[in-house]
Amino acid sequence: MNARKTYPLWFSFGALGLYFMLFFFPCLLGLFYSFTDWNSFRPELNFVGLANFRNLFRGNTPYLLYFGNTLKFTFFTTLWKTLVGFALALLFTRRSRFADFHRMIIFSPQVLSFLIVGLVFRSLLHPSTGFVNLALDALGLGVLKQRWLTDLAWVWKSIIAVDTWKGVGYVMVVFIAGIKAIPASYHEAAIVDGASFLQRVVRISIPMLVPSIMVVTVLNFTYGFRVFDIIYVLTNGGPGYASGVMNTGVYKEFSKGDYGMGTTLSTVLFFFITAVSWFIIRGMRAKEVEA
Amino acid sequence: MINRKAGMLIGALALVLSAGAFAQGKAVSLSFGTHQSGLPVSGIVQKLGADFEKETGIKIDFQIVPDAQWRDLLKAKIQAGEAPDIFCSDADPLSLYDRVRPDTSCMDLSGQEFVKRMASSVLPAISYKGKVYGITFPGEKIWVYFYNKDLFAKLGIKAPTNYAEFKAISAKIAASGIVPVYEALQNGWHQVLPLFESGPLYQTTNAGLYDKLNANAYNIKDIPQLKTIISQLKEFADLGYYGKDFMSNSIEGDYKAIAEGKAAMVLEGIGWGTQAETDFPALKGKLGIFVMPWGDNQIIGINPASNAYFGNVKSKHQKEILQFFAFLARHDNLQKRSDGDPQALAMCWPEIATKYPKDYADYLAKLKRGTVMQAAVKYVDSQWMDVGKDLEAMYAGASTVDQVLQTISARRDEQAKLQKDPSWK
Repeated sequence: MNARKTYPLWFSFGALGLYFMLFFFPCLLGLFYSFTDWNSFRPELNFVGLANFRNLFRGNTPYLLYFGNTLKFTFFTTLWKTLVGFALALLFTRRSRFADFHRMIIFSPQVLSFLIVGLVFRSLLHPSTGFVNLALDALGLGVLKQRWLTDLAWVWKSIIAVDTWKGVGYVMVVFIAGIKAIPASYHEAAIVDGASFLQRVVRISIPMLVPSIMVVTVLNFTYGFRVFDIIYVLTNGGPGYASGVMNTGVYKEFSKGDYGMGTTLSTVLFFFITAVSWFIIRGMRAKEVEA
Repeated sequence: MINRKAGMLIGALALVLSAGAFAQGKAVSLSFGTHQSGLPVSGIVQKLGADFEKETGIKIDFQIVPDAQWRDLLKAKIQAGEAPDIFCSDADPLSLYDRVRPDTSCMDLSGQEFVKRMASSVLPAISYKGKVYGITFPGEKIWVYFYNKDLFAKLGIKAPTNYAEFKAISAKIAASGIVPVYEALQNGWHQVLPLFESGPLYQTTNAGLYDKLNANAYNIKDIPQLKTIISQLKEFADLGYYGKDFMSNSIEGDYKAIAEGKAAMVLEGIGWGTQAETDFPALKGKLGIFVMPWGDNQIIGINPASNAYFGNVKSKHQKEILQFFAFLARHDNLQKRSDGDPQALAMCWPEIATKYPKDYADYLAKLKRGTVMQAAVKYVDSQWMDVGKDLEAMYAGASTVDQVLQTISARRDEQAKLQKDPSWK
């Protein structure tokens, strides 16, 4: 059997070794530490069983809130980036003036660092001196002014909007590539048959874009679960703990010196991301088989 | 011949220039990590840094981080072995180990000449197990409310001496369209001051309270005045006495707000007034002070320590760090620092004279004094920024006064257990 293969199995041992050392072994180590009281105050390490995991569900800790917030952030940013990115891709693949220029403008936030985006939007969204509320006032729409980053009702909407603004350009580019790969003859045939624009989008573009949608979804989901920077810079998890996510919790535990608890949070996050990614990739494979 | 000489000259010049460039390339730069509040607003430390560079060629690269993020960031950097060459941190005897891990992360300064010249009262704040690890400059820290005397006279009100009066004058100020109290939550620490600076008040009805708290013989959440004060803070927020955007304010904005008459009072360090008068000369002689009257407090809280600078023991440039500390501690530079920082009314260097304005000194002399809670009770200062978030959650409507108290208490338990404190067994 092996003799018929282009390369022998042992060729992969180097890569497998590196993978084991740099990815697999640290994961196992993390799992081990989550069952200990590893911290920065004492050199010894004690086995504490499931105590750290039980702490996650204690009433007076914010971890469950962080977990819910992470899910909320992931779901809504994925949804909005996909919908808006798709709409923009449709717009800019039609014959429009300066389409390339518009694509560049929409993609440009993608290359900015989260720190810059966070600081700029903190300033723009300041309730009394920020551009957004001042502009609303100038337009006579003062009634729409909000405390964007400190009001419980608005903080998540603001964070999701900023993150969507930053990431939508990338999604748009993936969709543009997918749309351009659809043979023009499909649309031409549909037009001859009298199909409307909406019918062509629903019956031709979307089914043909399923692989792109899957790629975008996996990328956005894994990004969403790992989010840290944009939250840290925009709200520092506030007001209070309202916009904290799993990774702000991990950061807090590590800075407190409670490495065991920080590792536990990371472990939970790791298993969750693995499970979700597995289901999405399975879904992708099923679609590929159907295709 | 001339051409040959010219060639040699050019060659020699090129050699000198390249040697210079090489030497320049080798010039030492010391990273100095700090939070915004770690450096005086006057910029005097940066000026001293520039003087030091002129004198020695060693550059001080200031890396300034927002207050709300510095404590966690510094701890994370220290634990990851990535701390800057010099780092600034708030220092007190009880939290020093938690903050900077002096025995494993900081240079031992015990043998340095300047250590003997610092006031002995501040040494415990920068020492661990008998060794001195930091250098500090500010004198004792006192927080008071500043108010605009002209505005008070115009409204016919006077400085309050209890909470009821504080609330009544705030109502009058608010009715005049001015924000009564400038509060700022963005820095993360300012809102916490009334809780723990009022520690001496708590001791008036519970003798030996600090010792009981340290021995875990009394729970912090059961201090009645602490609950009263948190409730009063919430009441002020609900009544709109902090203004409507206080959760987005930064404390640095208070100078402008008071100078422009947009806010009437602000809780600040005792040196704030002289800095405000320097930056806004129209305020000269117009600022009065009163002790924070939350919970009917009339005792002035004293914190013997403030922020301090530490040298990174893992730095490649320990000799240069010591050189910089010695430069800062030189008498002429201490005086320069005092003269160049209007906020520094006192320094913890007995060789530098204090410069309290007479009216402030007279007012403070009449008051009882006591040590603030964070300087005497374990696991208080280490959770300062977290308490800031607890209060922020309370102001946002996400938690209650009781929940804030329970969280503070739970966090003390958590920290004590993590450090295997024998009193928490």
